[in-house]
Amino acid sequence: MNQTPVNPITLQVINGALKTIAEEMGHILYRMSFSSIIRESQDLGAGLFDINFQTICESESTPMHIGSIPAYLRGIQETLQGGEWHEGDVVIHNHPYYGSSHSPDLAVIIPIFYEGELVGFSGNTAHHIDIGAATPGLIIDVGDVYAEGMLLAGLKLYEKGVRNEALAQMITYNSRASTQLLRDIEAQVASAQLGVKRFKELLTRYGKDMTFSAVDQLIDYSESILRQRIKEVPNGEYRAEGFLDDDGRNRDDRLPVVVTVTVEDEDITVDLTGSAPQTPTAYNVPFEGSCKVAAYAAFRKLLLDTHTSGTPVPSNEGSFRPIKVIAPEGSIFNPIFPAAAEARFTQCNRMIDLIIKALAPVLPDKVIAGSSASISFASYSGIKDDGDYWVFLEVNEGAYGGRPQSDGPDSIDNLMANTRNNPIEDLGMHLPMICDRYELRDDVMPGAGKYRGGIGVVKSQRMLTPGSITHESERHYDVPWGIFGGSDGAVGKTEIYNYASQDNITQMPSKFSGHPTQAGDVMAYYSPCGGGYGNPLERPAEQVREDVLDDFCSREHAFEVYGVVLDEQLGVDMVATLDRREILSRIASE
Amino acid sequence: MARIGVDVGGTNTDLILETTDKDSIGKGVFEHKVASTPEDQSIGVMRGILEICEKAKLDKKEIDLIVHGTTVATNISIEGNGAEVGMLTTKGFRDILHIGRHKRPHNFSLHFDVPWQSAPMVKRRNRIPINERILPPHGEIERPLDEQEVRAAVATLKERGVQAVIIGFLFSFLNRSHEQKAKEIVQEMMPGAFVCCSSEVVDVMREYERFSTTAMNAYVGPATYNYLTHLSSELRESGIGADLRIMQSNGGVATVESCCERPVNILMSGPAGGVIGGHHFAQLDGEQNIITVDIGGTSADISTLSDGKIQIMNPRDSYVGGYPVMVPMIDLITIGAGGGSIAYVDEAGGFQVGPRSAGSVPGPACYNRGGTEPTVTDANIVLGRLDPDEMLGGDLNLNPELSAWAIKEKIADPLGLSVKEAALGILKIVNNNMALAIRSNSVARGVDPRDFVLMPFGGAGPVHGPALAAEVNAKAVFVPPAPGITAAAGLLTTNLQYQTTRSLLCDLDTISDENMTRMHDYLELLEEEIEQKLRDDGVEPENMMLTRLAECRYYGQGFELRAEIPAGELTREGVKEVIKSFHQAHETDYGYCFENAVVELVTLRVIGNAESKKLDWPLSEEAGTDDLAKAFMYERPTVCDDGQEHMTPRYRRKSLKAGQRVTGPALLMQHDSTSFVPPGWSAKITKHGNLFISKDQ
Repeated sequence: MNQTPVNPITLQVINGALKTIAEEMGHILYRMSFSSIIRESQDLGAGLFDINFQTICESESTPMHIGSIPAYLRGIQETLQGGEWHEGDVVIHNHPYYGSSHSPDLAVIIPIFYEGELVGFSGNTAHHIDIGAATPGLIIDVGDVYAEGMLLAGLKLYEKGVRNEALAQMITYNSRASTQLLRDIEAQVASAQLGVKRFKELLTRYGKDMTFSAVDQLIDYSESILRQRIKEVPNGEYRAEGFLDDDGRNRDDRLPVVVTVTVEDEDITVDLTGSAPQTPTAYNVPFEGSCKVAAYAAFRKLLLDTHTSGTPVPSNEGSFRPIKVIAPEGSIFNPIFPAAAEARFTQCNRMIDLIIKALAPVLPDKVIAGSSASISFASYSGIKDDGDYWVFLEVNEGAYGGRPQSDGPDSIDNLMANTRNNPIEDLGMHLPMICDRYELRDDVMPGAGKYRGGIGVVKSQRMLTPGSITHESERHYDVPWGIFGGSDGAVGKTEIYNYASQDNITQMPSKFSGHPTQAGDVMAYYSPCGGGYGNPLERPAEQVREDVLDDFCSREHAFEVYGVVLDEQLGVDMVATLDRREILSRIASE
Repeated sequence: MARIGVDVGGTNTDLILETTDKDSIGKGVFEHKVASTPEDQSIGVMRGILEICEKAKLDKKEIDLIVHGTTVATNISIEGNGAEVGMLTTKGFRDILHIGRHKRPHNFSLHFDVPWQSAPMVKRRNRIPINERILPPHGEIERPLDEQEVRAAVATLKERGVQAVIIGFLFSFLNRSHEQKAKEIVQEMMPGAFVCCSSEVVDVMREYERFSTTAMNAYVGPATYNYLTHLSSELRESGIGADLRIMQSNGGVATVESCCERPVNILMSGPAGGVIGGHHFAQLDGEQNIITVDIGGTSADISTLSDGKIQIMNPRDSYVGGYPVMVPMIDLITIGAGGGSIAYVDEAGGFQVGPRSAGSVPGPACYNRGGTEPTVTDANIVLGRLDPDEMLGGDLNLNPELSAWAIKEKIADPLGLSVKEAALGILKIVNNNMALAIRSNSVARGVDPRDFVLMPFGGAGPVHGPALAAEVNAKAVFVPPAPGITAAAGLLTTNLQYQTTRSLLCDLDTISDENMTRMHDYLELLEEEIEQKLRDDGVEPENMMLTRLAECRYYGQGFELRAEIPAGELTREGVKEVIKSFHQAHETDYGYCFENAVVELVTLRVIGNAESKKLDWPLSEEAGTDDLAKAFMYERPTVCDDGQEHMTPRYRRKSLKAGQRVTGPALLMQHDSTSFVPPGWSAKITKHGNLFISKDQ
């Protein structure tokens, strides 16, 4: 391959073109698709990859997908039907022990041939609502990976341009929502085909050698920026730990998560040794497709923050290279086949949260206080009048910890999640469900601080017909931490009650599978609230007053924790406030 | 009939005056430019109007019509200095505007800002929950509106001194009675306040988008109302009895009254004029497929027009300042690339241009106002594509050495390039950024730019024309006669236009008799509403043009595409036509359609147009044999894209007449704009005075 450097101008032009291709691929996928988890939540990823499975470019959709496709490609290489790639092939793949992020995230991959030679891959991943698992939509409490539903490994949905009807028919008869599943796969195919077309146009324009030299240079460029930032972090070993509620079956067994970050010059190792052993349920993290991806994302957030740094860093392989991830085989972050591993999101988010916590002593201006660092992933389902299933997957948001210069954002997708909510009205018009409440929590206060933690959401969904709910969530016990004098946030909770008897509330564990529901049953999810950053007594009294006016803070909380005394007209009583703050700071120093 | 178009930009307020044989001064077209007055746009507007009349020696009383493109509402949304707004909303859903779609603006950031939380259009304290409940899917009332609560909430808002109140209840698109009743109470208790309900501003499903659009309407409402009524009275006080019309984001003009009620419709009033102006001048010479590129100091507005039609954006894609605003807007994109865009080398050695801009202060390095960073203008100066002594007719006192110095210091030396190479690189990168935006607005939708002419205008546009055209493979460059005032001219070429929507969700393939009737009745109501607005504007029924659209999707999808409803009485045949054209639209947009899938209607939309008189741009005279010699100013070296320096003649464009050919290299000079004809290209003046620049075969 030609290794002459591409001039900086052409490089920038190719960079822009690659970015646009990836965005276009993502765009077409969510516009065309049918299930709300793809079309509204945009739980998908799309991009181009070289023949060594390095990411050339990737769409800015949901972080959990970004960086996962190379692992799929390595898994496909091992399992590829017929062992060879041909022009016109379209491969679908979701096997978690062959690189998939988790089984519902189906990849569609198309090889790119240019002048008769395989030069790369165009592909995408998307979360499908039902692949025929033990329970509709999501699963947690199952015994092994085969209970997750169809496992597709290296299968050609199209072989040399000819559709494999047998495979399509098999899929049709193995999903509770096969119409949506097949149509959404078609949307994935359309998106991947667009990527092939656009990349070929680029190759024709600049030639293969120059295009790939540019690709390599762009990858090196991203890598070099990240390495520079790592160099600014003092060498050393940094550790943090927390725990997870349970594995979805054994309710009293808390599961430790231990993160050790080692910084050595311009390299970083994330070691998860000490974390819980693999669980007997699906509450495990596929190592290649999820665990490593989450660790890469942590450092992009911490060191390549796109809000604070003016220069956009191309989204490619370069941002993965300096990061090494270790998780002992047989642990929750690296389960051994045939352990199930579908419910892996909350562990990933906790890992990122703990990486941030571990580095707090050396990066006080970059880290933030503890976030919700979980997720609420709910599957509602039932049987329609015509006897078919309906399945609705919903991602509920969390909240961020307080930050060095601003409050933690409220009710927003946290860390690895960045989906869009499904409009309440769209839901009510199409499914036998109705939303009864969707707003900020008011039953608890977020972590207090100079910058307060974000306030979690409360969402109450009522099922109008009998059905079942599976819910994957976390953090009913381990509270998001405050930092540098900030106080802890609040844990989450999940309640089920019937609309007709709203006082008769059942407190649910954070994870449950296939919970049967009656008409009128409501699930109310309360997400954790973020911890505070810095001493609450340093928050300007006037700001605390504003918070009280907006009900972000109660009058009592303002007095108890912030030491701010408000008069009857809700004006700040400065004298009383100074006194109160002096008392509080004396208590704190004792 | 004397008419004025006045377009307010960030730097200049541009005006055009057209008079006819019936006016005292006879038929003519006049141009004028005054400095914009951002603190109160009406000052510049009034000054401009009075000055252009003076220039034309026209009695101001003779002006019949003033069409105005304004950035008043846009600026409020950008600067965040809108009204204190109160909101009544369904209990249990106080924070729809705070949560939005719960998606962060950044994937990889811990320190990101969430504008709708850090600077909300409606503060949380002013969002007051009210007991009421309407149920899907048919709109029955589960819990009646608690009118006592409404009264108490309004009393609170009144005491706090809010200037505007919105009412946003869930499922109001199914049943608007609660919103209407609450509105009556607000109006009764707070006469004079700006009040609107979500189902009147935009009657569509999806609570966040509907509430956000309504909140934006109220947020910009009072100030826009004040501006427009103030300008109206200023005009009257100066003895100008002309009708005042405002350009809307959708490219149609509307009355002041209508814009005061729905100011959310004029958020893109400014850039809309440019697209319409480009469209008009292209149509004169029969160019049907154009890509307009309006380049100013800090940004470029790009729009693609196929088959002579201005495209309207899917309302689902319309955002202003990060907020969804579901009103019709011309499909255009704005990117941070213009004459003032700054070139720099980032920490890892990457060569970047924009989106940061030097603005007018400090401005490009050559302005000698303290700017040390090189800009796109500096690159053009170094390469001899702009002449410092001729810019704005020499009104700006520019120093070209500062351009060269800035490029050397900041780009050439760090990257090991010559100043010339670095300057060419700046242009290449900024053109590439614009080209990518052009492609996303064209190629990305299956439009083949080889069938299009690229139309650059705005002061900084024409000098980039050929390079941009080459980059996107457009067939030629088409420069309007007066690039600097194209947007103002556009204001005198547009129609009256109004739109209205009504939500109706049902399957079309198996539409029930009940829904057929509903669809029929809704369309009738919508048509009546639009016809009434046009009647209020004095339009005769025979001049009204109504288009009826069904916004549809496959059942289960989340995004709608438009299909036209055949004219005349609605029939089941007509519904079949709608289904067919929806499949086609899906195929066009995504390259695929699901023929067996059920098509669902989501929203009905009626658009009403009435043609107005078009700007009568004079035909260019025929070129004489020695015109080129007369137009010749001087020649100087200019560096072309191949890096070669060519001695390049400069011609005064005004002196070039219809049919005149100019072979490149050449620069065609105008007071506020320079067109570049590279070697191997030639330019021809069309009979309407446009400049057609194409590559020699």
